[in-house]
Amino acid sequence: MLGAFAALPAAALGDGLTPASPASPGTEDTQLAYIVMVALGTLIAVGVVIALIAAARGRGGAETEREAAPRTRGTSGVQRRAGIGLGLLAAAVFVFGIVVTESAREVEPTGADGLTTAQLDIAAPAGDTQPLEIKVSGQQWLWRYEYPDGTFSYYEMVVPVDTAVVLDLESTDVLHRWWVPALTGMFAVAPGSGNQAWFKADEVGTYEGQSTQFSGSSYAAMRAAVRVVEPAEYEAWLTEESQGIQEAQDAVQRAVDDGTAPGVSLG
Amino acid sequence: MTPPAYTATPRPEVATDRLSTGKRDWVSVATSADHKAVGKMFIATALTFLAAAITLLVMMRIQLMIPDGTIIRPEIFNRLLSAYGITATLLFAVPLLMGLISYIVPLQIGARGAALPRLNALSYWLYLMGAVTVYASFLYHPSEAGTLALAPLSDDLFSGTHGVDAWAAGFGLVCLGLIAFAISTLTTVRLQRAPGMVWRRVPLFSFAATMISATLIVVGSVMVAAVSMLLIDRNFGGIFFEAGEGGAPLLYEHLSWIFFTGIYVVILLGAFGAISEIFATFSRQPQFGQRTIAGSMAAFAVLGVLAWMQNMYSAPIPIGFLYFAMLMAVSLAVPVGLILFNWLATLRGGSTAMKPPMRFALGAAALITIGLAGEWAQSVIPVSWQVANTGVAWGDTHMALIGSGVLGGFAALHYWFPKITGRYMGTSLSGGSFWLILGGTVLMVIPIQLAGLQGMPVDVYKFYGDTGMSVYNLLGSLGAFALALGIILTMINAASSYNRGARAGHDAWGGSTLEWFALSPPPAHNFDLVPDVRSNEPYRDIREAVRQRSTTLELPGARPEAATAEPAAATVAVQEPAEAQSAPVGSESGPETPAAAVDGDPEPASDAENPSDGDGDGPLA
Repeated sequence: MLGAFAALPAAALGDGLTPASPASPGTEDTQLAYIVMVALGTLIAVGVVIALIAAARGRGGAETEREAAPRTRGTSGVQRRAGIGLGLLAAAVFVFGIVVTESAREVEPTGADGLTTAQLDIAAPAGDTQPLEIKVSGQQWLWRYEYPDGTFSYYEMVVPVDTAVVLDLESTDVLHRWWVPALTGMFAVAPGSGNQAWFKADEVGTYEGQSTQFSGSSYAAMRAAVRVVEPAEYEAWLTEESQGIQEAQDAVQRAVDDGTAPGVSLG
Repeated sequence: MTPPAYTATPRPEVATDRLSTGKRDWVSVATSADHKAVGKMFIATALTFLAAAITLLVMMRIQLMIPDGTIIRPEIFNRLLSAYGITATLLFAVPLLMGLISYIVPLQIGARGAALPRLNALSYWLYLMGAVTVYASFLYHPSEAGTLALAPLSDDLFSGTHGVDAWAAGFGLVCLGLIAFAISTLTTVRLQRAPGMVWRRVPLFSFAATMISATLIVVGSVMVAAVSMLLIDRNFGGIFFEAGEGGAPLLYEHLSWIFFTGIYVVILLGAFGAISEIFATFSRQPQFGQRTIAGSMAAFAVLGVLAWMQNMYSAPIPIGFLYFAMLMAVSLAVPVGLILFNWLATLRGGSTAMKPPMRFALGAAALITIGLAGEWAQSVIPVSWQVANTGVAWGDTHMALIGSGVLGGFAALHYWFPKITGRYMGTSLSGGSFWLILGGTVLMVIPIQLAGLQGMPVDVYKFYGDTGMSVYNLLGSLGAFALALGIILTMINAASSYNRGARAGHDAWGGSTLEWFALSPPPAHNFDLVPDVRSNEPYRDIREAVRQRSTTLELPGARPEAATAEPAAATVAVQEPAEAQSAPVGSESGPETPAAAVDGDPEPASDAENPSDGDGDGPLA
């Protein structure tokens, strides 16, 4: 929400100096926070470094004058003023931080072009704008996505555009960290401690991400992708995917029943 | 009034420092519990592990020079990675600091030795054994569990070999060493200060050492507990970090972040202390706001450690706790800002002598400022959600740690090298080394940060060619090579200057703290006579008194006791340099006769006139 303010400076800075351009209201907020804080930090750092160089180039008065100068320097008055100034700056940044964090965390309702839960054939009144909940499970070294109807996919998540999506993150083995910079910030999971993220994709497209928590030998290959499609296409994909899964399971079951594959017959 | 006749008569001295023990040099150093011998061993070992750390860094950057690199296999890369974090911080930066503290702090506070010399020596041996344990695992199968060896990845289920055991056991030994060192240092500073050196007159490096020790006791104990639990989990069926059995994997992450945040704080505190003294010495200015800097260092230690969850903003932790961490992290702007402000004020109006220590200290201050500004920006939660564990965060941490650990550490090394060896470090190599380290760090960090903005995570053994990070990584690797070269130059410089550098007197730079009162290198007992401390700048007071007496031959007759009390002073003092140790002002102002010092001091130290010390009405009131 607050993120709208980020658009102008982001354009001025260019894409190379900011994280991936936001495609969800939550990441617009993180982008705003990034730009404000990096600008502030850069300003302070550059200012201090220039002042440092200037002060160190000093060729002040003669040795005798300096020796005669008062030896106690740095009075409580000036220190107090500097401390109060810095304290006010820190307080302002803290308040800004809370406001922007709350704004980024607030799940926005699904938009007009999005998918409402009524379309998902799960128990919810028509027109309800409950977010779409997807279970995301981190495993060495891939992400598994489970949709509300039980359909699942690996590597690539498919979601409808303009729809609030809440990700229930979990891990089955070690620590992992979900991150698709255009859509959500990073959220870590540990076995037994789940986490949540949300996004509402503004536009159709594919968004790339990567786990940022070291998780063992193939950690570098633990990439993620989110394909955002129109709601109708999403439903078609979901049907196709669940049919594919069903067919594959049937084939396995037949093989087990025939005795051509090891396993327990469920028949 | 007729001045009394002076005759300088030789006085008997106990010259313990020149007696041969009949042992080889390295044997007497290695078996000594003298704080100076321990300090030298710490510094030498730390520099050895600096060489190891840059080797690891260069190998990792070679692998990451080109996309989809295949020079180093993933498992090997992860071994380098797992050793790199602990080597760069715990086996290099902190021990270098410990060595300097062990050597310099007792001298600075006018002590004749460490209060607990054997504990101090034990800390070195624990550190060395721990380091050897970690590196010995390279002989069979080292840890592949990453920088922090976070559970559950480091549990036996996912890391079945004994590499993590060696890593954890070595880590634990080093942490015990840190705790032993901290207890020894705290006791020394608490009990062994020279008469008159109240807390507000403790030099800033020694004050930083106190804060460092307090921090190390807290976070070192935490990490000993963490690696002990890890070892129990791995070898004795413990379930501390096993979620399925009711354990908490996040607990280890919390504990190890408390420790590494504490180590970060410790390395920065050491740099703050050393840079403060170097700035004052080389700008020929008194320390501006000494008490504010000291208070800020204390606040920095407390707030910094309490902000450990700043590294865990993305973890499943209730948001209220994260806001607490954000409050602590954002508040760090106050102490750090005050320290920077006082540094600038110290330098302002001075006449800078751009000697090697000063150059390194200025570079350190610049990199620390940039790095900490970046860390501060990341203390706002949503910023961290986008850049934590990417090249951006990696860059800020490396900027601040190279600034404080390498440039700050080298500044301190250049500054106190003449005290430790009696020789200056050569100037011909130091300039090139400095610019290579500074330029190399900037060239390494900035492109890797830009790669991080394109989505480059930390700790990866490769990156993909389709992600737009190739150029950045290549530049970053080149920067790392320049950095490594710069570091090697200073190490060569230190090694070659150790026996062949230009001779330095006892007061190599015109410093104002007491270590410059001792000989270079100091004798085993440090000081023949411990002077009274009457201001923040005790050695300057001594120098001023000597100058007064050696230039004004006509001594004031109104002070007969002073004149008769110190017959040797006036004549000996003229040849101030290497002899000053056994000389003048201190000679009658030992602890037993403080009154003599007051009477004999032609220009009483500022403190006598202005008892409020740093808080009086100064020029900027």
